[in-house]
Amino acid sequence: MKTICPRCESTGVTQMHAGMENDQVLWRVWHCKDCAYTWRDSEPAESIDPKVRPAWAQMKGVDFDSLRQVIPPAHKPT
Amino acid sequence: MATEKTVSLSAEAKAVAARVGSLRDFLAYLGEHEQCVSWPDPVMPEPDIRNISVAAGNNVSTGPAVIFDKIRGYPGKRIAVNVHGSFGNLALLLGLPKTTPVRELFFEIIRRWGSDKPLLERVAPEKAPVNENRIDKNINLYDLLPLYRINANDGGFYIGKACVVSRDPLDPDNFGKQNVGIYRIQVMGPDTFTLLSIPAHDMGRQMLMAEQHGKPLKVSVMIGNHPAMPMFAATPVGYDESEFAYASQMMGAPLRLTTAVNGTDILADTEMVIEGELQLNQREVEGPFGEFPGSYSGVRKVPLFRVTGVSHRNNPIFENIYIGKGWTEHDTLIGLNTSAPIYAQLKKDFPEVAAVNALYQHGLTGIISVKNRFSGFAKSVAMRALGTPHGTMYLKNLILVDENVDPFDLNQVMWALSTRTRANDIIVIPNMPMVPIDPAAEVPGKGHRLIIDATSFMAPDNLGADPHLVDRPMGPEIDALMQRLSELQKGSV
Ligand SMILES: [Zn+2]
Repeated sequence: MKTICPRCESTGVTQMHAGMENDQVLWRVWHCKDCAYTWRDSEPAESIDPKVRPAWAQMKGVDFDSLRQVIPPAHKPT
Repeated sequence: MATEKTVSLSAEAKAVAARVGSLRDFLAYLGEHEQCVSWPDPVMPEPDIRNISVAAGNNVSTGPAVIFDKIRGYPGKRIAVNVHGSFGNLALLLGLPKTTPVRELFFEIIRRWGSDKPLLERVAPEKAPVNENRIDKNINLYDLLPLYRINANDGGFYIGKACVVSRDPLDPDNFGKQNVGIYRIQVMGPDTFTLLSIPAHDMGRQMLMAEQHGKPLKVSVMIGNHPAMPMFAATPVGYDESEFAYASQMMGAPLRLTTAVNGTDILADTEMVIEGELQLNQREVEGPFGEFPGSYSGVRKVPLFRVTGVSHRNNPIFENIYIGKGWTEHDTLIGLNTSAPIYAQLKKDFPEVAAVNALYQHGLTGIISVKNRFSGFAKSVAMRALGTPHGTMYLKNLILVDENVDPFDLNQVMWALSTRTRANDIIVIPNMPMVPIDPAAEVPGKGHRLIIDATSFMAPDNLGADPHLVDRPMGPEIDALMQRLSELQKGSV
């Protein structure tokens, strides 16, 4: 099954790290390039299952460019 | 302005200051006083570390620091939490017995307050323990640190208690303008992170300057520090005052500094330093993060940093914090240092002020104990408190009590509320500045203030029926009797 982001349901996710135990992979850390959510696949469902996560915490369909800037950039990034 | 004031310490405080030069020293010292434990069982990063951190912090008086060294999937890695999570731990740092009442800790901080003559010792970089290991290439923060999610709906893995050093991008050789602060850091990739600050804070100011003028902003993220450092990194000092100088003088012992590869000053004995550079005008989606008011702050665009190098001690300890719905280590870490400057500033104009308790949620609620010079005087003191630098943003609810009510003893404060407050002694000031992440704000950054005058009535007030107060026995004699009773209890089995 393809891994999707638990927060924005994007498929643009990358494995960042794997935790090992006795030469076996115990868990993997993933990162979403769209909403920047980071998670470990061993976490409780409240953090990593889109069906269990609270609705307010979901970001499917959010326009990321419209998010509030805490420190507005002085110039356009080069 | 630096004042070059020095602190005088008791023999016990001097002894602690002399032997505690690093996080490791402090953990050992706490351990000798049954205030640090190693968690014996294997833990999963989530939710075990979160849950054990909360449990350790629930005992505000004598909850221990906790070291994890059996973290599943992170063999050989170590985490320490709750190092500043109880008043017992703070008391030990100040050279006092771990059962010292909070009120006495407050006065010990006040006694040391304002002392800023730098006690700094330079260590050559090649001799600094933090440089035992250096990584310049193929940097992977996920491999270097046992990262974990602090609260279940945080947007990622946070470094929550690091002290970040940065130089003024327009005046990089000025030691005083070098800033040390605690800012929340979200790891965004193997070698990237966001750092959240606001324009009103020193770091935010430096980010604005760097981007405005196209100058580099280099930071050193110090993780696992001398216990005085996070206490004073979170304390507001003037922009041209050094947090290093403050922390060293307040502890009464030299802090060992060395120079990081990127030119900033860092603690020579810190566990790990992540050197980063602001990626000018680049932003990343950051948050939510369970913040000190006990609610999640929203998702925003926040400045992005790239890691240029990492130095660390052998077998480093990742010191982190549990923060969220109070009481948490955040409250203990900064509470006394939040209360002290408000007290010092009020005391200058109003010597009648006896003590200030701003422990709650960074001072969102404050309790001021003051002797009424005349009827209504306490309200004037409250107004002055709202005008102090911290009060301007943070002091939202203020409770005024008499000078003989201990503001750190909530049973006494409740007595004052029950018997001294008349409903028309409450003032609401609408549409005042507010901490943007306070969930009670009407709109982020704007809301109302509340002043409750729970001091005694005096002429020309109507004193009401039965106004004669009982003179409750208190003071050293009663304290000694309480001590005697507790000894009798121990020997009574
Ligand atoms: Zn996503």
